[in-house]
Amino acid sequence: MAQKPKIKDLLNERACRHNTTRKSACNAPIPGATTGGCAFEGAQISLFPFADAAHLVHGPITCLGSSWETRASRTGWPGIDLTQVGLTTDLSTRDVIFGAEEKLAAALDTTIERYRPQAVFVYSTCVTALIGEDIDLACRHASAHHAIPCVPVHAPGFVGSKNLGSRLAGEAVLQHLIGTAEPEDISPFAINLIGEYNVTGDMWQYTPLLEEAGIRVLATLSGDGRIAAIRTAHRAGLNVLVCAKSLVSLTRKMQAQYGIPWISASFYGRRDTSESLLAIAAALDDAALLQRMKQIVSREEEILEAQLRPWRERFSGLKAVLNTGGNKAWSIAAALQDLGIEVVATAVGKSTESDREKARRYLGAQGVLMDKPGQQQAQIIEESGAQLLLAGGRSLYTAIKQGIAFIDVNQEKKKSYGGYRGLLNLAEDLKVALESPVFRNVGRRAPWQK
Amino acid sequence: MAEVIHRSAKPLQVNPFKLSQPMGAALAFFGVDRCMPLMHGGQGCTSFTKVFFTRHFCEPIAIQTTAVTDITAILDGGDVGITEAVHNLCRKVTPSLIGLHTTGLSETKGDDIRGIAGMIEAPLVYVNTPDYEGGFASGWALATRAMIEQLVTPQTQLNDNRVVLLPHASLRPIEVEKIKEFIAAFGFNVLALPDLSTSLDGYLGEKQSALSGGGISLEEIRGLAAAGLVISVGASMRSCAAALQAKNRLLRHQHFDHLQGLFATDRLVELLLTEAGLTRPPAAVERWRSRLQDVMLDGHFTLGQCRFLLTGEPDQLAGLAAALHEVGGKLNVAIATVDSPQLEKLPVARVLVGDLEDAENSAADFDVMISNGHAEALAHRRQKGLLLRGLPNWEQLGDQLKNDILYEGGCYFLLEAVNTALKTEKSPAEPERSENR
Ligand code: SF4
Repeated sequence: MAQKPKIKDLLNERACRHNTTRKSACNAPIPGATTGGCAFEGAQISLFPFADAAHLVHGPITCLGSSWETRASRTGWPGIDLTQVGLTTDLSTRDVIFGAEEKLAAALDTTIERYRPQAVFVYSTCVTALIGEDIDLACRHASAHHAIPCVPVHAPGFVGSKNLGSRLAGEAVLQHLIGTAEPEDISPFAINLIGEYNVTGDMWQYTPLLEEAGIRVLATLSGDGRIAAIRTAHRAGLNVLVCAKSLVSLTRKMQAQYGIPWISASFYGRRDTSESLLAIAAALDDAALLQRMKQIVSREEEILEAQLRPWRERFSGLKAVLNTGGNKAWSIAAALQDLGIEVVATAVGKSTESDREKARRYLGAQGVLMDKPGQQQAQIIEESGAQLLLAGGRSLYTAIKQGIAFIDVNQEKKKSYGGYRGLLNLAEDLKVALESPVFRNVGRRAPWQK
Repeated sequence: MAEVIHRSAKPLQVNPFKLSQPMGAALAFFGVDRCMPLMHGGQGCTSFTKVFFTRHFCEPIAIQTTAVTDITAILDGGDVGITEAVHNLCRKVTPSLIGLHTTGLSETKGDDIRGIAGMIEAPLVYVNTPDYEGGFASGWALATRAMIEQLVTPQTQLNDNRVVLLPHASLRPIEVEKIKEFIAAFGFNVLALPDLSTSLDGYLGEKQSALSGGGISLEEIRGLAAAGLVISVGASMRSCAAALQAKNRLLRHQHFDHLQGLFATDRLVELLLTEAGLTRPPAAVERWRSRLQDVMLDGHFTLGQCRFLLTGEPDQLAGLAAALHEVGGKLNVAIATVDSPQLEKLPVARVLVGDLEDAENSAADFDVMISNGHAEALAHRRQKGLLLRGLPNWEQLGDQLKNDILYEGGCYFLLEAVNTALKTEKSPAEPERSENR
């Protein structure tokens, strides 16, 4: 009997920093006042980027029907991009009453025969978890029959938040994939990127620099990821946790189990990118490597500096208000500052302690941390004379009323803002917004309002 | 007429375009002014639904969840979670109505939402919409019927000046508005339930509030039975019309399977002329009819050589197929989200219930497909023309302003089909084929 991860243990995650203030862990959603996604979504975020694996969702149609093809995770996998192939058992009433394990087994066979994946992830959902479908058994049978790993992912939505779901996904990978194969050759500087999903190709902004310094990305979870690679992840010398606190439990367990140390990294904006590249090199503990990385970083910074100069001149004197949650509250602020824009306020209403700390550090003493951005932002724009509002769609009207430029930060971004070059993409987008006459023109009074 | 396969033999859906019942119900509730849909299930269903509609309509979407957890799923019969949810959401906003609807999870638990609804003081409509049954259109229809049954005041008098429109789930906001205006042009006062035409039609306004605005008001819903005529559009809406008639035995009912193309619109005009006691329609209606005739003639040559595959909700398929059939379009395949008696009537050679994998397997049988945004990759891979219809359409802006119905929309629809067909003929697939010869 495969053991299911103990959710209690995962919730009491020590390395989860924001857990010091809320004892009851990060889940326990409040009925009627909850906006976040479910654990299944978290698992989907963490595992769907494996484009060489099939992702079979065992549940009724809502779970997959409303969510497939929603993530712009890029891959270099030459076969069919299975990240963008939606697979679900689409339960019927009959299945709920009589059980759907046979259906699941048939679905597994069909999936494997038609799509020849390197592995299959089978996701349980609320209904299949509640009626007690044995997805472990189905996976064991299919693995034996087809000789590929079939991984049960026990993250049904109702066990908690996206965050917990990501952790449960990490757990499944640790239990079923990591350590099940050996790499062909072992680089002395092999690392794993954990929690990097390569959205809009973010990862490709900095991996060439790692490679250039002589660092080999052995495996990723799971941006541009390969099943064959993640199976060998236990041979890496370092785990790099990219902007994803949710997978800290995985890196910690890999440290205990395989002795792999881990560090956190983030590649938003110039400062973070440089700091992270250097930290990775330093952690691999090799003087020559560190030296090479220092050279690369200063070269890149120099190139970027030259590219940014005209932008800074153009943006100088501009002020922006930022109203978005989570790590965007400081990461976008940092990027704006790199472009020479003063960030007068950012939202921290729903931020964790560490996001709040970081926002304070980046904005300085003058900066306003807004707890109720919806109510505060209009006044702050007026008082500071900010010319740019970056926020979610709901705030568009505020910008138009003030006649200032607006950028929807929640819009699916098409280009990467990550690494060094991502800043230039951001600059281009800002320019379009700032130069557009539309915000003034649209806000014009109607003839009958004069 | 058609070969119809009512049930897919596959044990799974691959690249589904089917959407769930709770999502359809939620959308129906968005058509009521200041209504807060409350989905009874895990938080994820609501979150996915919110993101899905926000991206499709480019509008902020207000919806809440009872956030059932693995613990409350076992300990709570729903009463605690639902009451708490109502209490919590009413602390932040004052909805005119709460649209409580279930999901697979809460139905599997077997919560008695009817009983629980009775204990709640806030204005509330409840409806059972498990996502392992039916689909998007049935969810919309069930929610609409629940509103009629639970809210509308019974009447014994007719108001011949008033027409009630019951539009099916796949009609877009602007299409509902066009039907309302069309009927109003014959001198009637029209109300639609649900009415997305004023709530999700992509207008600029102050949307800071955590409630969606626009749509039919609660007062108007209560008075719906005081009308002379109810018009249902889409087979899925028939039961809603029956529910309204049960509130006023005198109420006349006319049903339309769809309102696309010349024949269907002619029938509507005939009905309205009779009801209004007129002999000629408004001048604009006559103009648009002759424009449609012209477009049909102009387009028949291209469309008559084009082989189509359609996907969608049964009601949506009925309209699309009729409009193309009238001009001689070659309707080779139609794939429906769910089964419906409606499928037997489609003028299409092969009809099945299925998914986009089935569409891909039929690639040899069509040149142009009419499908939702998920078909984009397939169309690209197989070099097929694609007319985006249905949810989601994340690829293009302004889906909610597209109009395919009545004489006017019929022109736009056929022209778009013609232009897509023309572009497809010139697609790079052609020279390759001649090279192979
Ligand atoms: S909450 Fe449960 S039923 Fe809803 S989407 Fe998540 S896993 Fe599926």
